[in-house]
Amino acid sequence: MKGMFQRKYLGIPYALYLLVFVVLPLVVIVTYAFTDAGGKPGVGNFLNFFTDPNTLGTLVYSLVIASVTTIVCLAIAYPTAYFLAMSSIRSKGAIIMLMIMPMWINFTLRITALKELLTMIEGNLALHPFMNSVIGMTYDFLPFMILPIYNQISRIDKSLLEAASDLGADRTQAFLRVLLPLSMPGVISGISMVFLPAMTNYVVLDMLYNSTYIMGSLIGSYFSAYDWHGGSTISLILLVIICIFTLLAGGDENEGTVRGGSIL
Amino acid sequence: MIRRLLIRILACLSSALILASSIGVIPARAADDVLTIRVCNWEEYIDEGGWEEDEVIDLESGDIFGEAALYEEFENWYYENYGQRVRVEYSCFGTNEELYNMLTLGDKFDLVCPSEYMIMKLMSEERLVPYSDDFFDEDNELNYYIRNVSPFIRDTFESNEINGEYWNKYGACYMWGVLGFVYNPEVLSEEEVSTWNLLVNEDYVRQITIKDNVRDAYFATLGAIKGDLFLSDDFLNDPDYHERLAAEMNDTSPETIAEALEYLQRVKDNVYSFETDSGKADMITGKIFSNLQWSGDAVYAMDQAEEEDFELDFAVPEECTNLWFDGWVMLKDGIEGDAERQRACEAFVNFLSRPDNAVRNMYYIGYTSSIAGGTDGDQIFEYADWCYSADEDEEDIVEYDLGYFFDENLYGEEQGEGSGEYVLTVPEEQTRRQLFAQYPPREVTDRSAIMRYFDGDANARINQMWINVRCYNIEKINAAGWAALVAAVVLILGSVIYNKTKKFRNRSIRRPLRPQ
Repeated sequence: MKGMFQRKYLGIPYALYLLVFVVLPLVVIVTYAFTDAGGKPGVGNFLNFFTDPNTLGTLVYSLVIASVTTIVCLAIAYPTAYFLAMSSIRSKGAIIMLMIMPMWINFTLRITALKELLTMIEGNLALHPFMNSVIGMTYDFLPFMILPIYNQISRIDKSLLEAASDLGADRTQAFLRVLLPLSMPGVISGISMVFLPAMTNYVVLDMLYNSTYIMGSLIGSYFSAYDWHGGSTISLILLVIICIFTLLAGGDENEGTVRGGSIL
Repeated sequence: MIRRLLIRILACLSSALILASSIGVIPARAADDVLTIRVCNWEEYIDEGGWEEDEVIDLESGDIFGEAALYEEFENWYYENYGQRVRVEYSCFGTNEELYNMLTLGDKFDLVCPSEYMIMKLMSEERLVPYSDDFFDEDNELNYYIRNVSPFIRDTFESNEINGEYWNKYGACYMWGVLGFVYNPEVLSEEEVSTWNLLVNEDYVRQITIKDNVRDAYFATLGAIKGDLFLSDDFLNDPDYHERLAAEMNDTSPETIAEALEYLQRVKDNVYSFETDSGKADMITGKIFSNLQWSGDAVYAMDQAEEEDFELDFAVPEECTNLWFDGWVMLKDGIEGDAERQRACEAFVNFLSRPDNAVRNMYYIGYTSSIAGGTDGDQIFEYADWCYSADEDEEDIVEYDLGYFFDENLYGEEQGEGSGEYVLTVPEEQTRRQLFAQYPPREVTDRSAIMRYFDGDANARINQMWINVRCYNIEKINAAGWAALVAAVVLILGSVIYNKTKKFRNRSIRRPLRPQ
């Protein structure tokens, strides 16, 4: 009994943290979002957002950038993770290390280096702002996609694939019907680690000379114009989008774990 | 799981917000007898000392050398001269807006250094403490600011007002300059860069940068769209030229803003980028050929280029230019009526205004100090001479008159002929290089205008205009784009729903069959 009591206390730092850094700011954001400059409550800020072709366009632009980045990351990460996890090469650890290493270096430094690299390849970066933004974000987020997929695939019992081939499945079928579904939780957590931050990672766009705003820069521009109400509104809209996304993705994740667990 | 993920995301988002807003909060209480003053300045805007030995500036009047940071040296100087221990809590801000948000969030500073429009905004919000009468006493030897400030700056601060109060009551000028273009003379001619329309010059598509800052961009835009008017003889010869120019460059009518929006969209399609700080480096690495720049940063870029063995020049558009100032102001929220604290803050401004310290700052940061010397020696002019004067064997030399900045005789009630003392003999190239940027000639300051802060509706309109320039307009998406978007959404939603239902079906059929 006493042990339980004490263990509860261990949660206090985190509870405090939650209160100060999550709950309170959220209250502030919600308050600002639902009031106008004069302090009168209302949903005018949201109406403004959803009727202005520029802010709506920014939402669409961010979604497109984030989607393309996610697709590119997935296209690179999945095969990489697959071959790494399935192969029995000895230097596996070193290769994984090589992939994780960039994560230890601050991303602005990495993007600075990438900028020079791309300039050497492309010449004038400003001619392809969209492509460069996608390249920059992919460069930034790729490890976050590879790692969960790799972990998930490594955890799959290889005898399942043998069983599939014993039962007459060829390699494609075994991949599509056994391995792919079982690796989905990794894919989904990879997607949420890439897609959501990509919507607001405006520093990459700034550094790679894309002058068009995405959601992150839009929020920033409202705050630097002292319009806290507009900025909070957009933050809240982003939060709602993130919640919807997490609900959709989270549902799958649970299913996947349960399923994987029950088979193993 | 869902909740944990959600909380994690929320935590990241909101802690970032809190962190961003709380940078610079340092509640301080030192030992009882040590007074702490909280100073907030621009980043890299003061000499931090630690010079190499070969960096000594050997003027005739004596060597100048930066040993420790000026705000640290101030502590000893204050104790020696005022007999009180003081500690300077020195912090930095990145933009005027950031500073304003910090102040609004309740950060306490005693002395800050915003630009002229932010000073006007703070003045009009009655948040500043006026300088004491002692500060303006020229007989006090420690009052370096009032004894040595350039007559040009003094005149400007005494003649510009907001709500009937003159700037000099609340602000002491620190640095000043103009707005122009740094350019690579091998690619661009001086004529091409001497107009704001360089920003839409299609010969240099994606090779020029503009500031990522609504005020500078709006200023350049007004200069361009009103350029024909500004260069017309009628306008130039108008006896009220300066008043008219200032009025035009502070035009915030909806029609003008609409025109500016259109122009800035063209700029956006033509420039390399809207940059906050990368422009200087990109000029030096040769990614771009010209960038819109404040004169102080231009000096820095040209110095850097020289070290890399190539040349960059500076030009100010013929139409007009923006004259800007950064100045020290004291905040009511920090000073809280404490006379000792105010005295220390004023002494800090005076210490920075001591001519040798002003030289150190100029050497270190590249910007132009408001101090001209005079009462306490001519070190500033000597420094300009030390930097720029031509060698004896140089052939292509010109005379460069700095009287407007240094010469008391040109200002004040007994305004008369200049003394003619403040003329440098410099290599001809300096008339478009560092000297030109550091001390633009009279004809440049004559076509300059100060941009005031935008209030209420005007501010909202201009910010909206800026957001409209920078955002992707949804109306730009064509039919094919919409089709692709809708298809993508349908595909994603469809596969999610299909997957979920399939799993439910599969499970209900399979579970009884599965061996446990």
